[in-house]
Amino acid sequence: MSAASIANAIQNTDFFTAMRESELVYPIVLSLHLTSIAVFGGMILMTDLRLLGLAMQKRTVTDVVTQLRVWKYVGFVIMISCGIMLGGAKFGTYYDNPYFQMKMSLLFLVGVHAMVFRRSVYGNTANIDRAPEVPRVAKVAACLSLALWLGIMSCGRWIAYFERPEDRPVRKAELIIDRTATPDLQSQHYTRGQS
Amino acid sequence: MLVYDPATNPLNNNEWSFPLAECFHIAAFAMSVGTISILDLRLLGLGMLHQKPSELLKDTAMWTIAGLVITITAGLIIFTTDPLRYYYSDAFRYKMFALVVAIVYNYTIHRKVVQSDHTGFGAKLVAVFSLLLWISIVFAGLFYAFT
Repeated sequence: MSAASIANAIQNTDFFTAMRESELVYPIVLSLHLTSIAVFGGMILMTDLRLLGLAMQKRTVTDVVTQLRVWKYVGFVIMISCGIMLGGAKFGTYYDNPYFQMKMSLLFLVGVHAMVFRRSVYGNTANIDRAPEVPRVAKVAACLSLALWLGIMSCGRWIAYFERPEDRPVRKAELIIDRTATPDLQSQHYTRGQS
Repeated sequence: MLVYDPATNPLNNNEWSFPLAECFHIAAFAMSVGTISILDLRLLGLGMLHQKPSELLKDTAMWTIAGLVITITAGLIIFTTDPLRYYYSDAFRYKMFALVVAIVYNYTIHRKVVQSDHTGFGAKLVAVFSLLLWISIVFAGLFYAFT
């Protein structure tokens, strides 16, 4: 069995087929995915900025990290659940999409990041607050977290724009030239990949 | 007569600038909506309880406005790629209407309530409305692409 046939079998399960073909459920799940990025991604951002000493400096690291922790977990679960539904519905075309693969690799690294820095940073906030300055390890953790999440978000967006060489559509610049010859192309509506 | 042809827009003529503008848009709205949500969770008594709402407002206000400025700038750039389609889209019209309401609301009623440090029923209602309003704007952005 090839990777393609496994990916297509996943995409063609009843659940993912219904998901893909629904005019309403797919955009709703995608909107929920984006909403969790907005609400909970924003919290991750603020935590990282606190560790870097750029935001919420008057609050202790403990206050920022521990009081938002449960919401970041909730957000992560919603984000991943929606993501599985979205990715599964199109897994046959996503599995070999390089941006999808990069996104999954970066997500894996988020897990590694959490394990690596749990003891020294996220579970060690009391000591960080006692230190005269945020220790370098915490700042490194924050920078890596920012880089990973911004990377994941960007790859997620780029998944929709990946064009295989064999089905690359006519370039829009070429259309401009074409439509001087064929007036009906003036009403040509450019469609853009929707994730 | 001013004639604008979106086909001449650089964003429609290379592969990277449109998604890049979207990434700025998304990261920045995460920053503004995320910081506003922190205030709303506080009003609802669901998070950041060690701080007063007014303290959290001072902590986050700058990041909220910075996020809004970047989001709207990137949004305007995205708008230029296909202005007529946006103009005639119901989802987009709702989004613009809700955005104006949300910004005015955020800097009037919402701000007053947060600064008052009340967390009673009225304040919770204000927080729920704020969350729903901002989330509906995110939804409208996505529904534009699907309708």
